[in-house]
Amino acid sequence: MDRAFASKFAKMYFMTVVALLILVYVGTRFFTHIDLALYGYMVGTFVFIGGFFYRFIAWAERPPTKLIMKKGLKLLFRKSTPQTSVEHLGTYRFIFKRGVYRWTQHVLLGWGCILSCCVTFPLVFGWMYFTMGENGLYTVVAFGINVMQVKADGWIAFLFYNALNITAFMVIAGVCMALYRRLNNMQAKAEQTFTYDFLPLYLLLFISITGLLLTFSNIFLHGWGHPVISLVHQWSVILTLIYLPFGKLAHIPFRPMSVLAKNYREAYGEQQMKACKVCGSSFVSSEQSSDVIQVLAQNDISFEMKEGFHLAELCLPCRRKYRMSRFTGIPTHEIKVKEANQHAKG
Amino acid sequence: MKKLLYIEMDNCIGCRSCLAACTQCGGHDERNRNYVYDVNPLVDRQTIPLMCLHCVNPACARSCPAQAIQITEEGAVLSALVEKCIGCQNCTIACPYGIPKFDEEQNLMYKCDLCYDRTKEGIPPMCASVCPTNTLQWITEEELAEKQERHRLGKWVSSHQPFEPLEGETNVKISLPGILQGVQKLF
Repeated sequence: MDRAFASKFAKMYFMTVVALLILVYVGTRFFTHIDLALYGYMVGTFVFIGGFFYRFIAWAERPPTKLIMKKGLKLLFRKSTPQTSVEHLGTYRFIFKRGVYRWTQHVLLGWGCILSCCVTFPLVFGWMYFTMGENGLYTVVAFGINVMQVKADGWIAFLFYNALNITAFMVIAGVCMALYRRLNNMQAKAEQTFTYDFLPLYLLLFISITGLLLTFSNIFLHGWGHPVISLVHQWSVILTLIYLPFGKLAHIPFRPMSVLAKNYREAYGEQQMKACKVCGSSFVSSEQSSDVIQVLAQNDISFEMKEGFHLAELCLPCRRKYRMSRFTGIPTHEIKVKEANQHAKG
Repeated sequence: MKKLLYIEMDNCIGCRSCLAACTQCGGHDERNRNYVYDVNPLVDRQTIPLMCLHCVNPACARSCPAQAIQITEEGAVLSALVEKCIGCQNCTIACPYGIPKFDEEQNLMYKCDLCYDRTKEGIPPMCASVCPTNTLQWITEEELAEKQERHRLGKWVSSHQPFEPLEGETNVKISLPGILQGVQKLF
């Protein structure tokens, strides 16, 4: 079977497209309910998947990435995984600790985008559509199954119709907060570049505004300009999708790695901790210490010292003190005195 | 004109101004990212500052699974990009000097970024701009060459380097503490 494909990339791409087509086949009740107005998004998604795998494989083949991913996947089914996943991918607890402003901004942006995708892609691939049963009642069909009936003028239906409007406002608010921060925060100002930091924000803003314009056109202009706006909107979404794996937005599909990393640290930490070769205190799992040594060796970096240890086997304070010994010849790391005030607190 | 950070270890009096200044750098969130070490704490008061030396081939960035540690054109090895850092802490284990710090709550590594907001404009980093004894200096490459020339005068002259004190080439240059004999060090 491995010989059937020219490369790992070809195989992954083929498999994904086939799986997607099968899901479309089933979801659209055997290709009977395809919304052809949305076919551009479908083509865009196929192009996106190609770019995504290209970028993802290049990334995952790097020695440190490969190691953590491989070991992290083996440890995927841990008791703590659901909680870690929710905190890292859903509630963004760690961003909350970086600041309420950034957390609010990220929730608006992140969930605005995720919810939009949850609405858009099922519609694009025909996994979800609406039919009108009796007068005044809508039937929600998911994967060919009638899931629920809602009143056409009820509040659930209202949420359905306006889901993308609501998420558009979320994204616009998030983008504005992010732009404000980028224009004022010193650190951000120093490190940001237009293509990496601003472009994705402008793209999201453009998508949200053109999306809202569709609604505006429907409500206030009797649909004037609707075909043009919908094409502009569609193209902006497709462009962003294709760009997604190559810019800042790539952190969205790559973020689950942080759950793997957390599991990796927790699981191996429970197994065995590495004792510092100088002071004997445990500072990291033995597994990670040897993994880092291995990764560095693959990069032609070796920190084997003549004292008989690798620097990755020393705890951080000892490693810093050891450097003092290399600077002065005095074995600072062997003097049993806790490092003095390092926190500028007087 | 390209300038670089130069550490004249002899001069350090352990005042920790550099630590305090570090906390005030834009984006450092009032937490310092450098260190000051007692060399022989039970015997004398000699201290030496230690901060990221901005390796030319940084082990932290090489060991990062998320490519979160960027290296700028100027050679500054930046703190982890917040959206990329996955909190694995490989960098803290890989760094030969033990520099990167890790915030468990924020699930984020942070390290000396050579005050990139300042140094990219040619302004000295916070630590160098406050150092009262000229331990931390922000100098041009010509000035560095001049200093190194002066230190190469003889076997016992200040700051001669009997062995390689670092692991590989760094963008921050150091001058080891040494013995003054016959030559006056002028800073």
